[in-house]
Amino acid sequence: MAEAGKVNLVASPPRSGHALEFSGLDYTYAASSEPALRGIDLVVEPGEFIVLAGGSGSGKTSLLRAGCGLIPHFHGGEIDGTALVAGRPITGNGPGQLADVVGYVAQDPETQIVSTTVAAELDLPLRFRGDHPAERARAVEEVALALGIPHLLSRTVTTLSGGELQRVALAVALVTRPPLILLDEPTSQLDPVSGDELIWLLRRLNEEWGVAVVLAEHRLERCLAAADRVVAMDEGRIGFDGTPRDFLAWAIELRPELATPSAMMFAGAGVEPLPVGVRDARQILRHEFPAPLDQGWGPDNESVPASQDAPSVLEASGLWVELDPGDGPRDVLRGIDLEVRAGEKVALMGRNGAGKSTLLRAAAGLVEPVGGRTMVPEGIALLTQNPGDFLVRDRVGDELAGPEGEAAMKAVGLEVDPDRDPRDLSGGERQRLALAIALAGRMEGRALPGLVCLDEPTRGMDRGLKCHLTDLAKRLAAQGSAVLIATHDVEFAVSFADRVILLGDGEVIADAGMQTVLSGGWYFASEAARVFDRPGLVTVEQGVDYLNDLRNGAEGEGR
Amino acid sequence: MKKLSPIAYVPKRETIQTASLGPVALYLGAYLLVCFFSSDPLVLVAATAGAAVAGYGSGAGRAVNFSLKLGGFLLITMVVVNALVTSRGATVLARLGEWPILGRVDVTAEAIAAGGVIGLRALGTMVVIGVWSACVDPDRILQAVHGVARRSALTATLISRLVPLAATDYARIGEAANLRGPAATPVGRAAMANRLLAGSLDRAVDVAATLELRGYGMEAKKTGFQKIASRYDLRFWFAGGMLMVVAVAELALGPGRFETYPGLEYQFEPLGPLVAFAFLLGGVVPWRRRAK
Repeated sequence: MAEAGKVNLVASPPRSGHALEFSGLDYTYAASSEPALRGIDLVVEPGEFIVLAGGSGSGKTSLLRAGCGLIPHFHGGEIDGTALVAGRPITGNGPGQLADVVGYVAQDPETQIVSTTVAAELDLPLRFRGDHPAERARAVEEVALALGIPHLLSRTVTTLSGGELQRVALAVALVTRPPLILLDEPTSQLDPVSGDELIWLLRRLNEEWGVAVVLAEHRLERCLAAADRVVAMDEGRIGFDGTPRDFLAWAIELRPELATPSAMMFAGAGVEPLPVGVRDARQILRHEFPAPLDQGWGPDNESVPASQDAPSVLEASGLWVELDPGDGPRDVLRGIDLEVRAGEKVALMGRNGAGKSTLLRAAAGLVEPVGGRTMVPEGIALLTQNPGDFLVRDRVGDELAGPEGEAAMKAVGLEVDPDRDPRDLSGGERQRLALAIALAGRMEGRALPGLVCLDEPTRGMDRGLKCHLTDLAKRLAAQGSAVLIATHDVEFAVSFADRVILLGDGEVIADAGMQTVLSGGWYFASEAARVFDRPGLVTVEQGVDYLNDLRNGAEGEGR
Repeated sequence: MKKLSPIAYVPKRETIQTASLGPVALYLGAYLLVCFFSSDPLVLVAATAGAAVAGYGSGAGRAVNFSLKLGGFLLITMVVVNALVTSRGATVLARLGEWPILGRVDVTAEAIAAGGVIGLRALGTMVVIGVWSACVDPDRILQAVHGVARRSALTATLISRLVPLAATDYARIGEAANLRGPAATPVGRAAMANRLLAGSLDRAVDVAATLELRGYGMEAKKTGFQKIASRYDLRFWFAGGMLMVVAVAELALGPGRFETYPGLEYQFEPLGPLVAFAFLLGGVVPWRRRAK
């Protein structure tokens, strides 16, 4: 037993030279004929911060699972090649045996919390390891302080927000001070504020504790600046392995869907080098274009809100909703006044716990307001956060039978074999199927619901799938429905919305055109807006135009 | 904001929540035993009421109300179904003629009574499980199981987490069922049950994977799980022990034997009301005097 009270603030050193080492690794899941990993050669050195990029289904999650022993011990299947975690082969060591050398944080924090209180959750791995109670108490305290969650220790896990849960999951993975931590899209459920905080917290732990970090992410603009190295997965193979700046050049040329908005803007305008983040972009701009354009520059195509003549499809007046999550009632919505008209495409944004989901649920009549009222005169279709909740049968055809079912699938752009099991569909296909179920029989004429609401639909989606979703929202709006999407994804909001409603602590704190709202802040702002800080400049195309104007202005001065 | 399942565990400074796992298991186990196996309607009603009183006294009113509602629905369903599908019994109350699939349907008092007994068992069992789920810390169960099923994270998970997971999934899937479009195939009870079972097992496996990642199956030195004594332990050991003896005696001796077929017959014994009274009175065991 270790001496009580001695807790080092640095990660335990790995037992071999490398934190993680894959050599010629092939892996095929038990129920699949296609390999999920093909010929993976990868070495993670102690103290490295690696971002794992790639589209949906490219093998990121499988790689991380292999790095903590869940593959092959929990998922079965066939494995070939060598995989060493701190020098230990994963074939001979299960997740339990590797728990002291690697921490793993999966995408959904709810399935990673197994205790009742935060303190018990943090204590659990130390108990399993057999640490002395005094040692455990100090380690729990230390990790809680490091992650800024000491105030959560006595809370029950059911009362935590998504961001708090994710921090707790990270703290649990770190409490045993493993030299390596693997994270699978940990920011997918977080608002922009919490997401940024988490990434920089990881960077701080990486620098101060020496923990090697491997972070799989779709929203690369959020984390690339913190990375030492980027590994891009492509159909189970490593497609790229190098520095973030080299990665951006590779992505612009070969996989533009992986490039960040800043990189796309700079590449589009022919400005070099490509920026790795907002700070880098601003520095390059200062260097390349010392004299910015005057403040009068602005885009002239601000999105136009729906006509005031269009019928109202959602009216909320003085809406108060009180919920009791288990630790006493609390006001979740506080006097919301809101109107949405037919044909509008609205993004509903705000921090975790701001009341977005509750507003949608109140509109759908799933929660009873304690004050005020909501009206949806033209009907409502709501797709809740987990599309899997809509899928209850073993065949797609059993979920949606008959011509109306087929029409609903066609309307959402879903073409799959009706004999397929819904659980075998990809994330994007499941999303579409769930939406088709919600809309079935309501796709034509008067039956079309006036309001279609989607709650956080982009979780775990790559940019290609988000583009499909954007098309779908536009299609529904063109047919006369208003589309209201609660999302944390600013770039997605830029792509589909013409209006943004920002909630803060149950109140509407901003409600205006998309370009106005998403260029007027720091967190709830697109990357283009953060780089240029110009009113109304939010899209990549606008950024390219602005850069071209800057270039022309600089050339004019040069002449 | 997530809404907590009505039967989810909520830490409170009440007696069942703060007492040790052993005496509480003995106490609620006695109720579970009687509710599950007794065929005496008087005892079943009293044990159900006693368990409900215990739940209310432990601050688990929401769980008790939810269980009563769900169990009540099951009770009525079982009475109706049994009355329609079973034509046994001497006292015919109604002759409903030939029905498709069911054939000749005669509703008998015996079939109604038999369905009622089964329903009462279900109701009582659900109330006891509801109180257990809302009052007993799953962490303690996990700690207890860790000692005997060290290598089996899945076992521990299923025991300590399946009930709250199933309750959460039930609420969410039920909500989604109400949001389906009119042309989507409606979600029947069979599909719901099937999905619920598959989903709960999937989630339980996820949690089990998490436990493995935390080192549940690790060959560690003797872990430092501490036994935390409670001032209520003695009370539950005593009351639980007494009730368990009474429960075993009731099941062994069957004092209030209730026969449903071919005719209704209730063999009254003085021990029956005593057993019922014991279980009803046992419901006040968790109640405590509040500080002024």
